[in-house]
Amino acid sequence: MFVILVYDINVKRVAKVLKTVRKYLHWVQNSVFEGEISKANYQKLKTEIRNIINNEEDSVIIYVFRTLQYSSREIMGIEKGGEDIFL
Amino acid sequence: MKKTIYIFNDGQLKRKGNTLYFETEENSKYLPVEDIGEILVFGEVTLNKKFLEFVSQKEIIIHYFSHYGYYMGSFYPREHLNSGFIILKQAENYLNAEKRIFLARQFVRGAARNIRQVLKYYNNRIGGLTETIENVSELTGMLADCDDVSKLMALEGNIRDYYYKQFDKITNNPDFKFEERTRRPPKNHINTLISFGNSIMYTIVLSEIYKTHLDPRIGYLHTTNFRKFSLNLDIAEIFKPILIDRVIFSLLAKKMITVADFEEFANGIMMKERAKKIFLQELDTKLKTTIKHKSIGRQVSYRRIIRLELYKLEKHLMGEVEYEPFVAQW
Repeated sequence: MFVILVYDINVKRVAKVLKTVRKYLHWVQNSVFEGEISKANYQKLKTEIRNIINNEEDSVIIYVFRTLQYSSREIMGIEKGGEDIFL
Repeated sequence: MKKTIYIFNDGQLKRKGNTLYFETEENSKYLPVEDIGEILVFGEVTLNKKFLEFVSQKEIIIHYFSHYGYYMGSFYPREHLNSGFIILKQAENYLNAEKRIFLARQFVRGAARNIRQVLKYYNNRIGGLTETIENVSELTGMLADCDDVSKLMALEGNIRDYYYKQFDKITNNPDFKFEERTRRPPKNHINTLISFGNSIMYTIVLSEIYKTHLDPRIGYLHTTNFRKFSLNLDIAEIFKPILIDRVIFSLLAKKMITVADFEEFANGIMMKERAKKIFLQELDTKLKTTIKHKSIGRQVSYRRIIRLELYKLEKHLMGEVEYEPFVAQW
């Protein structure tokens, strides 16, 4: 499945969350990640985030797509990050 | 499915923040470690032990290619699926001449049948290949009586000769005349494409073998010797016609690669970076393409089919189900 993850985290914890999400998803722009993820890794990611964030102050939203059919991705302005198989 | 990363730029691969990090002079990028299955390195890359430890732990294979695009070797992390039982069975099937020839024959048969499918497809489109198809079928029929691995190899060579002779008709591109199969170094453009594609195919199969209990050092058609992996060569035979050759034909038909994408070196011809990237992109897309699998009854990707092939081999070695090679249906 494909997910888009966005977060708004208190500066005290934001670096930790950033590092955690980087292990699973591709950085797109500040506070936004996306990528294919397996069900198992999706659960792992959520558990790791849950252990870091403070439910009173932080917010994480994950949009889940079963497939990317019937979707498109448009970029306006500069492309900051995203997935690339060639480096 | 975990991704393959292709590195062409020069830079450093590092472990950083518990994930992978690639740094070049111009930019840097984090790679999600949980989403990466293998890394193919074409550029000049520096890495350290800490990095190797990390990829080993995460079971990521790194394949290296030389400046000329030749396969140089792999960082094959410690085996994580150890099975003494399977290794014994693999060795037993190798040492017993009758059992070995059976498997070797199945691999050649799979390759020949897939070659036939490719020819049939182009016969429907452009015609004039009926005779070759008959020749290939006839030689495939002779496999059953072949009881010696070197004769089997020769027979396979003959099948491929018939097949390669039709490449000019299929590609219909005077810039990419086949002439004859040349290697190390390939002497014309189409040979360069085939060689490059085949070496990538070998590494892909090797990566898939790594995810099973099989030991890539024991092959059946390709003699097990002192230096290298050979099981991946066996399995790759089956998939070369339907994956690599088809990618080459479509690249040439769409004119995505032209003679300007090659350059001479020593006494051969090599691909420029642009051509390699286009080739790998097409192959990557192909491997992700799903088809309806006859016996499973659902959509599976070509990459998955390679793995299923290995599982079938495991079943055969364990004496559960006799191995039948995968044959494309169209």
